[in-house]
Amino acid sequence: MTVEFITTALTPEGVPPGAIAVVDVRGTRIAVANVAGTYYAFDDTCTHAQCSLADGDLTGTTVTCMCHGAEFDVRTGEVLAPPAPSPVRAYRVRVEAGALQIEV
Amino acid sequence: MAAHVIVGASMAGVTAAITLREESTDTITVIGAEPEPPYERPPLSKAYLRGEVTFDSALVRPFAFYAEHAIETMLGTRAVRIDTTEQFVELADSRRVPFDRLLIATGGRNRHLSMPGAELEGIYGLRTVGDADRIREATTAGGRAVVVGMGFIGSEVAASLRKKGLDVVAIDPGKTPLFRVLGEAVGRTIADLHRAHGVRTIFEDTVASFEGEGHVARVVTRNGLRLDCDVVVAGIGVEPAVEFLDGSGVGIDNGVVLDQYLETNVSGVFAAGDVANHYHPLFHRHIRLEHWHNAVRQGAAAARNMLGQQTAYDEIPWFWSDQYDANLQYAGFHTSWDELVVRGRLDSGSYLACYVKDGRIDAAVALNRARDLRRVIALIRSRATVDIARLSDDHVDLRTLDAGTHRGALAQEGS
Repeated sequence: MTVEFITTALTPEGVPPGAIAVVDVRGTRIAVANVAGTYYAFDDTCTHAQCSLADGDLTGTTVTCMCHGAEFDVRTGEVLAPPAPSPVRAYRVRVEAGALQIEV
Repeated sequence: MAAHVIVGASMAGVTAAITLREESTDTITVIGAEPEPPYERPPLSKAYLRGEVTFDSALVRPFAFYAEHAIETMLGTRAVRIDTTEQFVELADSRRVPFDRLLIATGGRNRHLSMPGAELEGIYGLRTVGDADRIREATTAGGRAVVVGMGFIGSEVAASLRKKGLDVVAIDPGKTPLFRVLGEAVGRTIADLHRAHGVRTIFEDTVASFEGEGHVARVVTRNGLRLDCDVVVAGIGVEPAVEFLDGSGVGIDNGVVLDQYLETNVSGVFAAGDVANHYHPLFHRHIRLEHWHNAVRQGAAAARNMLGQQTAYDEIPWFWSDQYDANLQYAGFHTSWDELVVRGRLDSGSYLACYVKDGRIDAAVALNRARDLRRVIALIRSRATVDIARLSDDHVDLRTLDAGTHRGALAQEGS
């Protein structure tokens, strides 16, 4: 499958600053975080115990998983605090024609 | 170049080793009594016990990591004595490992049952991966289990064995599970959770004896109940592993006594994790914790202080316990309280309960309400008195209660 930007059901207004939304893109749950007007997309499923990161807390560019406290950098998917054993995948995201598009 | 020696290849010990490596070029040696590569214990009572994950997934790091990062590991190797004057650790085979800085991270060992019949086969404790393997093996075919002790380990084991399809009876001397820590009102909700999943719970009773021919077949309680069973798992607490420190001059009282910098009374000798009884500057008392988060954070903090940083360790204690599909979390530290302030309802399956004393939140426990729990940590840390009416109002954002870090009522909800 080629990599391309997919139009999602999310709108920019639907993800206000400080919020995280989740959307299904080609069978993958992807979280979209709004950090002061910039959107970041990453796998919604925590690599530790499969909890939803969109249910987590967003502080700056750090998302904290509510289940067990793992922290990720929403810009890169990098693990900032355990117990997550591995990063989440990060995706490119853009606003096009009033919708959030994610590159998958 | 300093020689750092860590006794205990535990979560605390290994986290310290990794931190030392990240922040120095010193030599690092980890001595561990268990033969396996260092692993995380939380899965042992949960996914690993149920056979849902492999041992490899529980490793702190892939085993090759240590050699690749010049961390020497001496596994299957027991330390039997330390000499703080000559600065060496003596091993069971009489070898000596010299140190400049020492970290004690030996954790704890399980208390053992001592009543008649406790030596029968089929009665297990749970601390190591070996213990977990034996329980897995003994429960693969289902059967009837008795869980003795409904603290965190017993509660998680009861949930895991139910999930595996065993009939489970749980027995505890308290009025509820976790009664001593969380009190009766919260404990009742945990009892309800277990009963809703088919566990038979017996409280305010204890085991008088075990019966069976070679293998346990029955638990007899003080109140005279006779519980037929195929397997028994006991979770009746842990004692800090400090015997090897006898005669070392290191102060011992409910574990290794530490100052706020995680250092013992002997300069250059530190401790972290389950074995550590450290002075907490926010709660103004010594605290010993037996949880993963404390092991991780304290291990890293101790490592930095071994490198000369002298930073006080003042993390707010925090831990989780997953039982069935419920997520329980606790933050803070409390031993008694004036008032239990609840957001949500205790009988609703989702609540935050705050242990308030002298108007301040000392600790809180949340069932399926991690967001509130995370936010109450700032209130605990502030040590400020709180507005009880607003604290108990489910519509008030907890972040607006903290005068110290007031961020305004308009702060965004995460989602």
